[in-house]
Amino acid sequence: MNSNFSSKTAIVGIGATEFSKDSGRTPMELAVEACEAALVDAGVDASDVNGIVTFSSEQNFEIEVARNLRIPALSHFSMIPHGGGAACGTIGQAGSAIFSGSADYVLCYRAFNERSWHRFGSGVQDRHGGAEAFDVTFGWTSPFGLLTPASWVAMFATRYMHLSGATSEDFGRVAVTDRKFAATNPAAFFYERPITLEDHQESRWIVEPLHLLDCCQESDGGQAILVTSLERARDLRNPPAIISSAAQGSTDDQQAMRSYYRDDITRIPEMKFCADQLWKNTGLGPSDIQVANIYDHFTPLFLPQLEEFGFCEKGEAKEFLRDGNIEMGGSLPTNTNGGQLGEAYIHGMNGIAEAVRQIRGTSVNQVENVENALVTAGTSVPTSALILSQDY
Amino acid sequence: MNQDLSKTDETVSEQDDFLNLLTSQVGSTGKIEVARDNVSEPVIRSWCDAMSENNPLYTNPDIANNSKHNGIIAPPAMLQVWTMSGLHLGSQFQRNTEDSPSAGVYELLDKAGFTGVVATNATYRYDETIKPGDLISGSQKLLDVSEQKATAIGVGHFVTTETIYSDASGKQVGSMEFRVLKFQPGTGKQNQQPPKKPPRPKPASNSSTDWFWDACNNKELRIQSCDDCASLQHPPAVRCLSCGSISLNTVIATGKGTLHSWAIAHYPQVPAFDYPLIVGLVELEEGVRLVSNITDIEPEDLKIDMPLEVNWLDVDNEFTLHQFKPIQSVKQKSKSESDGEGENNSQISDLDQNDSDTQITKKQDPKLDLKNVQIGDELPISLVPITTLLIVSTALATRDYQDVHHDPKAAQSKGMPDIFMNILTSAGIVSRWINDWAGPEIDWNSIDLRLGAPNHPGDTMTLSGSVTEKNQNGNRVSLNIAFVGKNSRGMHVSGTAEILLPEITGD
Repeated sequence: MNSNFSSKTAIVGIGATEFSKDSGRTPMELAVEACEAALVDAGVDASDVNGIVTFSSEQNFEIEVARNLRIPALSHFSMIPHGGGAACGTIGQAGSAIFSGSADYVLCYRAFNERSWHRFGSGVQDRHGGAEAFDVTFGWTSPFGLLTPASWVAMFATRYMHLSGATSEDFGRVAVTDRKFAATNPAAFFYERPITLEDHQESRWIVEPLHLLDCCQESDGGQAILVTSLERARDLRNPPAIISSAAQGSTDDQQAMRSYYRDDITRIPEMKFCADQLWKNTGLGPSDIQVANIYDHFTPLFLPQLEEFGFCEKGEAKEFLRDGNIEMGGSLPTNTNGGQLGEAYIHGMNGIAEAVRQIRGTSVNQVENVENALVTAGTSVPTSALILSQDY
Repeated sequence: MNQDLSKTDETVSEQDDFLNLLTSQVGSTGKIEVARDNVSEPVIRSWCDAMSENNPLYTNPDIANNSKHNGIIAPPAMLQVWTMSGLHLGSQFQRNTEDSPSAGVYELLDKAGFTGVVATNATYRYDETIKPGDLISGSQKLLDVSEQKATAIGVGHFVTTETIYSDASGKQVGSMEFRVLKFQPGTGKQNQQPPKKPPRPKPASNSSTDWFWDACNNKELRIQSCDDCASLQHPPAVRCLSCGSISLNTVIATGKGTLHSWAIAHYPQVPAFDYPLIVGLVELEEGVRLVSNITDIEPEDLKIDMPLEVNWLDVDNEFTLHQFKPIQSVKQKSKSESDGEGENNSQISDLDQNDSDTQITKKQDPKLDLKNVQIGDELPISLVPITTLLIVSTALATRDYQDVHHDPKAAQSKGMPDIFMNILTSAGIVSRWINDWAGPEIDWNSIDLRLGAPNHPGDTMTLSGSVTEKNQNGNRVSLNIAFVGKNSRGMHVSGTAEILLPEITGD
């Protein structure tokens, strides 16, 4: 679907704050700084921006960000539901807005203090029941102590391990690779701090089968991305990262974080749905992707994403990891910024920025001959994904 | 007691001095205390009423007169009761406390701020049967005063005494070794009143889902069903997810299913729950799944697809929640259901030999087949609701007028959250429970109790125990019974009782 819009728009600016555990600033300051940096990166003036797309859990209202940036008028503004699952959706909806003519330059951003302010990983323990349908969904899990994102994901992981034969060490390979890339990325929180598989195995339980080092960080920071038409992009400062396709997906008895009632809880059908759209819209396939940012809020759900995109068969992601495919020099170097375990957990937006750098050829962990980069967004919620490509 | 902490040496030496003072009476014996009254049937009956003791030898003259005792006997567990000082509000009767070595130590400790008191251990030995008319006296010896100890309840000293009980002729009828902790309220390693555990989060619900939780309160597991296509679905919706029908109904699930997956939560810890916390995804045999806690299993024993059955948790008076537990193995299952089946099951003959006691107990047969009691046999579990009435009436029936057993404010001023059961009652209730099991014909040798978490009103104590030793002593067989009484705070009492089975008079 939406194949007309493929390759008609591009990412032209990326900007971020530093990534920390205590920014010392308000989320609004972080949001505005990140957006300003993205505009500078693109060489675009704020007065040309007329669209903002962000996604839920964002506390910085787009009108306040626009006010601070002195954006004179917004003709397109939207907020996509489901948190990190929407990260790539922001780029897709920005591209749609531009393609449809409802905006010219669209800023997408995420900025928060989810470590030094309210800790994101603490979950819904303080969320008291309301009567709205979304609140009621927590009624099926909270009374039993299933209160945190880690606990929701652990339920998928146990069954996945049972059916696929994947082990905790296989999950650990994702963490070790992330931290290896982070160790050579000065922007990463865990710069110069790699871990070993032993470190992973010895880290304490958070929710079995998840160790501490299976869980992404809680971070303070902001990341902004500027989208415009390919035509305008070609006149700007940086080579465009063409949005070959972006897709959102929700399917098959979808629940928020707890899709426990569908036939096979070891698969991610909404990600498969995104993959099908991307391959169809671009005509590309797994072998056309040189680098990827695979969403890694929790390592266990990294594995079935590889399967849904066809990088390996169902249940065989563990072999794909054991063979070193996601490392530098492998068939699919992944999360070259250090991912959300190593760089920062900015709900996927920093992964998109890294894909832009890979397309531009400016990553600190640059993969050779990158033509197409895949990015996926948060899993176990309605999700999204995109492919960025070089302009020729 | 000591505000000047500037000179550590001085402080230590002051502590030494205090300990020397406390221990100066160790080894000494107080004056013989003679009971105010002879052992009498009304006092026995009051005690039996309060303890729910039904042994006819204690209260029923017709039966007692035809027993080997030729009349009513006093419950052995009342040994300590007879010489208790009783209540004397303004009466002339004043016990001369200076003659009791422990009383002197208590007074010293009270003055030094160790005003709290809890009994921690008691060992009763029963040498002779006590009968109405006997006049009991007690002679207390101070065995030990410990150095200052930091305990969970508070900083304090353990005081150990031994009391020898005799009848009017001077013959020893029994003895008691008794240990109490005198402590400074508020100095516990953990606050004695643990922060009251907040309740679990109640399920967010609305009129589309209230029926599910209402059914749980009736211990029914209901699933949404479609009147038109008969599909089942969970979580509930406002349309049939299969055919779109608006005609939705519910069916009652069998409560049986399998473990589809699980998560074991360790961190972060929310006060309402105990960790590690097992949360399972249960696939009901009707085909839908739901999230529930898995209980009665260790994490390492969890297996994908293991059979489970529903297990209801009364969170509070208004809220019952489904939990799931493993379906018992075949052997255990046939044990609990053996009353109902038993035509063609080859295991039944084994059961008849091995589990005759539990079966008989269950059938309320008054005669336990004592000859066939074996080591490992379990006593029937007994639930004892702890009420204010029980605590106060048993305190009075044991002639124990200490304020901590009837006055909540006094209990609080001594570092306890509420009034609590006295140790004479713990001993009495355990004895009654063993009598209920073993029958009136037994004799008592001894009971040894270790006291832990207090029994406060509103709690329930669960008594369980088993036979740990069986010995031939001359023409008598003795049984050792290890027991434990647990309440919501933990172990209230544990210990061992030694009883003698009736003489076998030839078959």
